[in-house]
Amino acid sequence: MMKLKRTLGAVLVAAATAVGSGAWAQDLPGFSSWDEVVEKAKGQTVYWYMWGGSDAINGFVDEFYGKPLKEQYDITLNRVPLADTVDAVNQVISEKEAGATGDKGTIDMIWINGENFFTLRQADLLYGPWAEGTPNSALVDWSNPAVNLDFGRPVDGYESPWSSAQFHFVYDSARLKEEDLPRSYAALGSWIEANPGRFTYMAPGPGAFVGTRFVKQLFFELSGGHDQWVGPFNQELYDKWAPEVWKTLLAWKPNLWREGETYPAGNAELRELFANGEVEFDFTQSPSGAAPNINAGLIPPTSRAFAFDANLIGDFNYLAIPFNAPNKAAALVTANLVLRPDRQAAQVQPANGFCCGWGIDVNKVTDPAGKEAIAVAMQNLGDAAADPNRLAAALVSDIAAEYQSKIEADWQKYVLRGEPLPN
Amino acid sequence: MSDLTLSSTTSSSNVRARRGFGRVVFYLTIFVMCLMLILPVIAFFINAFAFRWFYPQFVPNEWSLQAWERLRLIPRAGDRSLEGFISLWASVPDVVSALGLSLFIGAVVTGFSIIIGLPAARALGLYRFRGKRIIEFMVITPTIVPPIAFSLGLNINFIRWDLALEAAGFPLDLSGSIIGVSIVHLVPVMPYVVLTLSGVFANYNPDFEAQARSLGAGPVRIFWDVTLPAILPGLFVAALFAFLVSWSQYLLTFLIGQGRVITLPMLLFAAAGSGNNAVIAALSLIFIAPAILILLVASRFLSGESSAVGGFGRV
Repeated sequence: MMKLKRTLGAVLVAAATAVGSGAWAQDLPGFSSWDEVVEKAKGQTVYWYMWGGSDAINGFVDEFYGKPLKEQYDITLNRVPLADTVDAVNQVISEKEAGATGDKGTIDMIWINGENFFTLRQADLLYGPWAEGTPNSALVDWSNPAVNLDFGRPVDGYESPWSSAQFHFVYDSARLKEEDLPRSYAALGSWIEANPGRFTYMAPGPGAFVGTRFVKQLFFELSGGHDQWVGPFNQELYDKWAPEVWKTLLAWKPNLWREGETYPAGNAELRELFANGEVEFDFTQSPSGAAPNINAGLIPPTSRAFAFDANLIGDFNYLAIPFNAPNKAAALVTANLVLRPDRQAAQVQPANGFCCGWGIDVNKVTDPAGKEAIAVAMQNLGDAAADPNRLAAALVSDIAAEYQSKIEADWQKYVLRGEPLPN
Repeated sequence: MSDLTLSSTTSSSNVRARRGFGRVVFYLTIFVMCLMLILPVIAFFINAFAFRWFYPQFVPNEWSLQAWERLRLIPRAGDRSLEGFISLWASVPDVVSALGLSLFIGAVVTGFSIIIGLPAARALGLYRFRGKRIIEFMVITPTIVPPIAFSLGLNINFIRWDLALEAAGFPLDLSGSIIGVSIVHLVPVMPYVVLTLSGVFANYNPDFEAQARSLGAGPVRIFWDVTLPAILPGLFVAALFAFLVSWSQYLLTFLIGQGRVITLPMLLFAAAGSGNNAVIAALSLIFIAPAILILLVASRFLSGESSAVGGFGRV
């Protein structure tokens, strides 16, 4: 009995703080200690603005964060569903314009990355730096450029990772054999030629960053590697390889779905084409692969995920706190809870409905309960997911944000509208 | 004589034929129109209960309640007992609270729009005065100006007023609150209410009021016993418009409510991005159900026979 009590106590302490020492890499602006944060958060409501398009993700958040926040921290989670994260960004900008500073804002926390983070950061509308100051942030691999850079821009402690995603593909094992799958862009090109009308990709553009990512990866393969693309935007490098990319995509065009005259505008459209058997490949960002969409009945149950051998962009998504958040303490506690090993283990399991993968570096977890939860989660990834080792082998980081808008504009011009390439 | 008889029979049978043909066209038109109205609703029903409905299935091979489970309106299989339902609904699913809020805001907006719109409509319908055209034009401008044009600026002003009110010791939130959202819903609602009611008053004869007054009735009695019964059908139609316009607001609710005032359209727009057709269809059914119910109840006021558009003038 005594022993059980002690073990239970140890688990609880470990779960509450994850790293017992409380040695911080960073101070939390406005607070003198983590205990003060937890104390102030009591009775607060955290207004968490997040993309609300997936009922599975909504359900996961309410179940796996809402309940423990209430029971263990006396915090009420109020999840605000957004059709697009940029709406929250505009809200913060409006509040700033109206003079709602201090803690007079309305948004406590935003699920964010990329352009939206950059917009708020540039306008100095985020609270921070704080992200390396929460106890569980010690479990994050801050030395990883995929973590400390968001679309190539430094995070600087103004957002804390939640989960990760990596671009890869989905096919239907009832229609294609695993050994026939293309494992590179070159192989995909040959596959398209041999199977006219059976492939398409999302049009790169605002709201379809996955399509842009698909084209970015082609830059890496054609130019012989990802390494040279790391770092600040390089116009010369872009100009050197962009025509090659457009030539390749133009060569595919006549053999694409609808002869490349039109492209699906987003995830949902491409998925529907795949589900209805019009094309053979869907894209996914989820380490659970095809499982979440199979569970929702959106794609055939025989769907499986697969990866190329190289150049698949992976990145992290984050939580940020606006400068005028009324409940900063509750937001900090929530961001810390999200990184707790047992919550992280819950989010990667397809059965729980969340989209994405680990936000922490699982090798940094030392407490036995956390390790156990992680080991169990690893067993439950399901067979609809791509081989994690193959994904890891192909992983590259995203590149400077300037490339994104460049690629989107030039793709529209040269590939979609077919304007003549420069020289 | 026989000629005459013959010609008269021919002409009457012609008339009958024409009538018969006309009737066919008439009923065919009605049928096609009904089909156009009903087909989308049928499509929603099929989608809301279909599971893995892919090409080339013409009708779904599999049916499921998963969309309704995902909306947390029906417990998962195994929990579908009375207790299961009670405990699920006791947790107030998002859809239920959004439905309630939409109904509440719709009712409040309808009430206030009538209170504001009635005097304006009476003036516009009964009297001629200088500048009437300009006022009429201003009344309908909200239907011309896109909401995004004024709502962003309005939101900033609401936030400013909130701050000023708080500083003055009257903490009242307009921005991000039900009050603010209700106020801003009045903007697109008012043109419909004023236009409908001024049409009613255009055919209204105020002499009846004079008559009642000469018989000794006070203003309240006159309104209650003379004016109100005369305009009631028109009032009903105006209220219907007001409710439906408020019911379907997304952009204004989002911008002024700051995502905190979660009405049904907010959930619908968020879900539409997901591409889960079953969930979208189920939400759509919930969204259109009250509208259809109200329409059915109100249909007799909307038919040509009612005095909704005629008012006293035709009696």
